[in-house]
Amino acid sequence: MLLFICGMTIYGSINLSMGSLHRPGPGFFPFLLAIVLALFSLALIFQNWAKDKVPLPFWERHSWLRPLLGLVILTAYAILVNSLGFLISTFLFLLIWMAGIERLNWKTIIMVSIATTVVLYLIFNLLLDVPLPKGILAK
Amino acid sequence: MSEFLDLFQGLISGFGIAFSPVNILFALIGALLGTMVGVLPGLGPAATISLLLPISFKIGSPVTSIIMMAGIFYGAMYGGSTTSILVNIPGEAASVVTCIDGYQMALKGRAGPALGIAAIGSFIAGTIGVIGLTFVAPPLAEFALKFGPPEYFALTLFGLLMATLIGEGSILKGLIMVVLGLLLGAVGLDPISGAIRFTWGLFMLQEGIDFVTLAMGMFGIGEILINLEKKLSTELVSRKITNVFPTLKDWADSKWPIMRGSFIGFIIGILPGGGAVISSLVSYAVEKKLSKTPEQFGKGAIQGVAGPESANNSAASASFIPLLTLGIPGNAAIAMIFAALLIQGVQPGPFLITERPDLFWGVVASMYIGNVMLLILNLPLVGMWVQLLRVPYAILAPIIVLFCCIGVYSIRNTVFDIYVMGVFGVIGYLFRKVDLQPGPLILAFVLGRIMEPALRQSLLMSAGSPWIFFQRPISGTLMTFLILFILFQIVRMAWKSRRNKGGDI
Repeated sequence: MLLFICGMTIYGSINLSMGSLHRPGPGFFPFLLAIVLALFSLALIFQNWAKDKVPLPFWERHSWLRPLLGLVILTAYAILVNSLGFLISTFLFLLIWMAGIERLNWKTIIMVSIATTVVLYLIFNLLLDVPLPKGILAK
Repeated sequence: MSEFLDLFQGLISGFGIAFSPVNILFALIGALLGTMVGVLPGLGPAATISLLLPISFKIGSPVTSIIMMAGIFYGAMYGGSTTSILVNIPGEAASVVTCIDGYQMALKGRAGPALGIAAIGSFIAGTIGVIGLTFVAPPLAEFALKFGPPEYFALTLFGLLMATLIGEGSILKGLIMVVLGLLLGAVGLDPISGAIRFTWGLFMLQEGIDFVTLAMGMFGIGEILINLEKKLSTELVSRKITNVFPTLKDWADSKWPIMRGSFIGFIIGILPGGGAVISSLVSYAVEKKLSKTPEQFGKGAIQGVAGPESANNSAASASFIPLLTLGIPGNAAIAMIFAALLIQGVQPGPFLITERPDLFWGVVASMYIGNVMLLILNLPLVGMWVQLLRVPYAILAPIIVLFCCIGVYSIRNTVFDIYVMGVFGVIGYLFRKVDLQPGPLILAFVLGRIMEPALRQSLLMSAGSPWIFFQRPISGTLMTFLILFILFQIVRMAWKSRRNKGGDI
């Protein structure tokens, strides 16, 4: 019923690295925590094991597609924002997100993209004085 | 008597601060934003405050920015009920139980009175909560001046365990999140010896993991990613809300639930680890038990709206007490405000009231004003918020993500932090997938920086003997209570599983 299997592997690996990093002095508190974490993780594994559940497939095809797309767009934004500048990349970000993930109609997409880019620019650059990357527009 | 006069004087000076045009403006902005995120499902007050952390010191003085953030927190408690009642989706976690009877009332054409009683109850409870805050906080802070490291260790431990024990979801998973949060908090410079820990050679990690980046990733991005999956659609709300004013009978029915809700919320709000979500659940259970017609619950009983909606508001106000007197945040949203104070260079703790009376009294006074604003925003103007529900999530999601990006970027002006936030976003998303709540993790992350030095200093004081936590009266009482509580939980769980087994046969 619950999708624990994946979570358990995460814990297992964390335990290993944490336990071996112990150093006296500054390491005292983390070491204590690592032991406690190991105990809890074992308890969780045991609990799931005892329940004898059939784990459902963690990823269903359609469920991870949209979050993944979102992440790809976010990463692309982080890569491009310095070279393209804030205005262009923010506009593209909104455009691609709404067209690619949400499939809204084009009129709304373009209007929202322009309006949001302008408003965000006004708030952050002019009102709050955040130096946003200018990119190619600066030339 | 003179203490009473001091309170009064403090409050009056606080109103002087809160009534300055800037602070009025930001209290209003906070109330508006709070109601907005309360109404919108999939965006809670903790996430919203985290979005504002990087720009908080650009807003103005600490007083002003905390006034706004506080407004967001208790404003969300007002807004959450609207969505619960009209769409049967909690706009905000603390309004989950309001769905049950609120939506039923709406189906029967009584959406107006349901919204009305929720707003009125919220106002009464919110105000009672603030009055309680006014009178309880100063003496508590004075008492807390006597606290040494052992007391702080006991308190933080108590808070974290309570947060998982009475919180939502599996206790074991909550505990795991707490330990993970404490570990994440330990990354970076050791607070006592200055040694560098767990950076894996990465220079960027030496200063520790930035709270804002962590919070925005876990809450902001993580929440968006999981919502993308769900394809959250806010169905059009076409029902017209005609009369928001409850009838005399409604009022008579709700009077006591509101009072009880205020009281329950206040008590639970003060407790470390307690908060708005739990208080509303408790209030609902109490009202159902006390009702002469419990069969009406679930079919549109107004008590089931009035009680919980009051409880979450007074809990929201009360949860400022541990923050402003002990410097210990009790839940994720308050942890964000704790971080905001630190960013502004204000150390929350027992000295806050005496050292920064302007901040304490200004914020408290603004909460009185904010509640009046919210009553107006949510009673005559409720139609405006209903319109907001028509903005599709599809448009909001990318805007929120952008907001996170710019916010994180603006802290140090590096794109690197956007990647870090992205990574935390993915982790937050995966945690939610396996039903692990990031709330306890964030709380532990913040508390860890109080807890670890407290633990090690205590052990230095006692030359390594852990009995120090039991020998001192205050920490001893807390530890004893803690152990009793854990035992009680174990017994209860054992009892439950035995009964379940019995039921299977």
